[in-house]
Amino acid sequence: MRSAAAPKFYETKKFKDKVKQAIVFIVLLAGSVLVISPLWWMISTSLKSPAEIAQYPPTFMPKEFHFSNYVDAWKTAPFTRWAMNTFFIAFCGMAGSVIVNSLVAYAFAKIRFKGRNALFIVVLSTMLIPGFVTMVPQYILFSKLGWVNTYLPLIVPAFLGSAFFIFLLRQFMMTIPNELIEAAVLDGANHIQIWWHIMLPLTKPALITVAIFSFNGAWNDLLGPLLYLNDESLYTLQIGLQTFKGTVQTQWHYLMAMSVMVLLPVVLLFFFFQKHFIEGSNIATGTKG
Amino acid sequence: MKKGLLFIISAFLLMGTLAGCSGESAQAEKTKDGKVVVDFWSFWGSETRRPIIEKIIDDFNRSQDEVFVKHTYLPWGDIWTKNLASVAAGNPADVIINDINSVGQRAENGQSEDLSKYIDDSFKDQFYPHLWETVMYEDKAYAVPFNTDTRLLFYNKDAFKEAGIDPEKPPATWTELEEYAEKLDVKNGDRYERVGFYPLWGSIGAASWMTSADGGKGFIQDGKLYINTPKKQEALQWLLGWKERLGEKTVQSFEAEFGSEQSNPFIAGKVAMWVDIGTFYTQIRDYGNDMNFGVAPIPAYEEGSGNWSDGGGFVAEIPKGAKHPEEAMKFIEYLTGPEAQKYWAMKNYDNVANKEAAEAVVKELKGDDQYVYEATVKNLDQTQLFPVPTQYPDYQNRINPHIDNVLLGKTKPEKALEKAEEDVKKLKKN
Amino acid sequence: MKSFETPIERRGADLAGKKEKTLHRRLSRQTRENIFGYLFISPWIIGFLGLTLGPLLFSLFASFTDYNITSRMNFIGLDNFKRMFTIDDLFKTSLWNTLYYVLFSVPLTTAGAIFLSVLLNQKVKGMKFFRTLYYLPAILSGVAVYFLWMQLLSPSTGLVNTFLAWFGIEGPAWLFDPEWTKPALLLMKMWSVGGGMLLYLASLQGVSNSLYEAADLDGAGVMQKFIYITLPMISPIIFFDVLTSTIGSFQIFQEAYVMTENGSGGPGNSLLFYNLHMWNNAFEVFDMGYASAMAWLLFIVVMILTIINMKIGKKWVHYEGGDDK
Repeated sequence: MRSAAAPKFYETKKFKDKVKQAIVFIVLLAGSVLVISPLWWMISTSLKSPAEIAQYPPTFMPKEFHFSNYVDAWKTAPFTRWAMNTFFIAFCGMAGSVIVNSLVAYAFAKIRFKGRNALFIVVLSTMLIPGFVTMVPQYILFSKLGWVNTYLPLIVPAFLGSAFFIFLLRQFMMTIPNELIEAAVLDGANHIQIWWHIMLPLTKPALITVAIFSFNGAWNDLLGPLLYLNDESLYTLQIGLQTFKGTVQTQWHYLMAMSVMVLLPVVLLFFFFQKHFIEGSNIATGTKG
Repeated sequence: MKKGLLFIISAFLLMGTLAGCSGESAQAEKTKDGKVVVDFWSFWGSETRRPIIEKIIDDFNRSQDEVFVKHTYLPWGDIWTKNLASVAAGNPADVIINDINSVGQRAENGQSEDLSKYIDDSFKDQFYPHLWETVMYEDKAYAVPFNTDTRLLFYNKDAFKEAGIDPEKPPATWTELEEYAEKLDVKNGDRYERVGFYPLWGSIGAASWMTSADGGKGFIQDGKLYINTPKKQEALQWLLGWKERLGEKTVQSFEAEFGSEQSNPFIAGKVAMWVDIGTFYTQIRDYGNDMNFGVAPIPAYEEGSGNWSDGGGFVAEIPKGAKHPEEAMKFIEYLTGPEAQKYWAMKNYDNVANKEAAEAVVKELKGDDQYVYEATVKNLDQTQLFPVPTQYPDYQNRINPHIDNVLLGKTKPEKALEKAEEDVKKLKKN
Repeated sequence: MKSFETPIERRGADLAGKKEKTLHRRLSRQTRENIFGYLFISPWIIGFLGLTLGPLLFSLFASFTDYNITSRMNFIGLDNFKRMFTIDDLFKTSLWNTLYYVLFSVPLTTAGAIFLSVLLNQKVKGMKFFRTLYYLPAILSGVAVYFLWMQLLSPSTGLVNTFLAWFGIEGPAWLFDPEWTKPALLLMKMWSVGGGMLLYLASLQGVSNSLYEAADLDGAGVMQKFIYITLPMISPIIFFDVLTSTIGSFQIFQEAYVMTENGSGGPGNSLLFYNLHMWNNAFEVFDMGYASAMAWLLFIVVMILTIINMKIGKKWVHYEGGDDK
């Protein structure tokens, strides 16, 4: 280190940061070409006419832009209704997931109750059996409860915790210093207050992740709604998407247009949420106060 | 901020409760005017198919005083998973459209109702016999055939002329098929601009060619195995020959190129002869730019050995435990009757199970529409269905990898089929 | 590490002494912890007892029967388990395919997701846009993606092989060559590491800047900071990711089901994964008893792996909050 002389401009931290940023930017930009190319294919197909889709070799850009595909696809079935249904289910699922899983995870991370470790193994073990093996008995169970053809089988389980999210949030909560909790206990706070006033604000990025994942999961779920709903007026978008896939011919232009539209709300949600990532409290800043 | 959060949470909880209540309308058993509701599940939900089936349902509903059919669309594939779960739970649909080749398998497993008490000879005689056979399990009918398909050789007449072949004389035997294909190939250096023919493209697989070589005998017939037969070995060797002629690379790149099923290599002029089901014609009609094509039965192994095609299709069936079997049967009778079947065939260009309807459609269609449809109807005589054998339900999954290995050049046909037969034998259920 | 001790750690050391006293002062504390603990996890307990346990036990019982879902359920002892190892050759194939996939996909996706999340955690122009973009593949699902990849992986004209050709590499036939089908699936999986990326990104938000600043003062390089600060700080999430993606990879199903035309297993059965074989047995052949037996065998295997993982995890997972096991 030549500490004596004034550093040259290319040795300054500022310059190094700039170079680093430029490299990161270029890498990300290059990567985004890979990520985006499949999406481009989707969008371009959604704007083509069926005749152009059937052409060989496939065209990269649509010759004519058929924006009407979007409107027409939407009109082929009660998509407005289905979109509202899907939104409702996904929204409820998201709310349930965030609240309940963080409660359960808090207990597994920070409350020292008897049998905690054994129960946690049980939580994990529920992830190990593939859903379709228990699908039929579960269907029978819900049908005995009279829940078939309602949204209950799709929403209620979200309010009863999921092993994946419990485990995830527990991991995040484990990184929160115990001292914070001890201090709060000394101040006379109970666990509900600690959970609400300390844990939730401190694990905001993790909660957002859970929110995105659970919304995304419910939004894309096909088998659940299909299994439990019998009335077409209760259907969801994913079932609607299937109508474009024919046994003989697939309506690619509609399928892609609709796929793009189905994708949009999740993208917007993500875009909206991710800015809270940066605003989300850093543990260090949290302890300073 | 925190108050806001609290508010949102309570709103969610409230909404959750409301959702539970609002959705809670258990399946109505009757309409307001007292008609029995028959739940009908199909996978016909597309913009083209849905109006057709719903028109048929409307016509039926109008003619009925006591029965009302309610149609529910469920996606292809998943519809049967749901059917299974709902049969197990005891709340299935009243009528469902299901695969024709597995009727016996479902009957054996108690998934469908025995319909024989509703069926007499005159009812049964409406349908093609080869279809009717598949709905029988232990001498009882468990379904009624709805539609079917058959495979034809589509060929590009312009390509024929170009190659100096008489476009009115399509290949009739395997030998001719090879001769023609070679003439129809167009190569540019090492690359194929056009492939004359490749037997495993289109709607046909190795099993069909092997069956055809064996005089129409499938892998399993009447409970006996005919997997490792000399003719089947020969057919497999023949298929391998095609692959060697074109080269692995050509075959793979063509398959990948057209694997997305968006464009079709026959319509794009990249392949001169192509085996597919009758409805493939609608794609040529819609996207083929007035392509000059012809159809013919699939070439026979040798003269007189039969132009065998295999077939599939769908049936209407009453799931086990359905609440209204009698009313359901009334609807099935209409659905498979001449009127509805003719309407379905005209609108969908589909081969239907009802003989009278099929013949009426041939008469009514015009031009190319008629030319291809008539060919498919004639072809039904040489079409075989291969129902899932109840003793070996999983046989295809056991045979296919061995066939794959032959085509990948890993095993000799004799060895592979010997192994395949062994594998299938091991699986026998009693 | 010792050199950049944070204020929290120092404060933690002070509090550790007080902790003992608190426990002594309130004898009823354990009871209170028990009450609150069970109160907090009660939703999960209700769900487990009410919705999950019954079907689980049912499937466990079914694994000793010839259950066909709709009409038959006779006790046949261990026959299903015997069949896996004696008669059913496809069982071995499917197990081998799955192990191959797990072995590669877990390390690759974990490393990929960490790398991506570190990149996306930099302060660079348009970061919101990049984050959204890289998460997109995780949202896309189903048939559209499959057809997309069919085109991308096309041996002669696909984007992937075109790209490889620039470097003079002749790309393989991917989905058509049994040797390359699983790598093709791995490639697809890598494309959608956005989900994992999100986890790490959230975790990186918890890493205090002061740690890096202290390291900067000590003259630590980029790699050193990554290895000595970033990795330990996000290790709880790495642990989570490794564990859940191991479980998830063992259960790989959807991709293979869609990509092999309704589960036929792909060329030479090279994509016949464990769960695909299980699905075929359950819903094609209606042998749910056998499928359940397969599921429970896998359960035991993955359970053992999970427990081993957790034991090893104690050695390398660093809980900033203090380990209280």
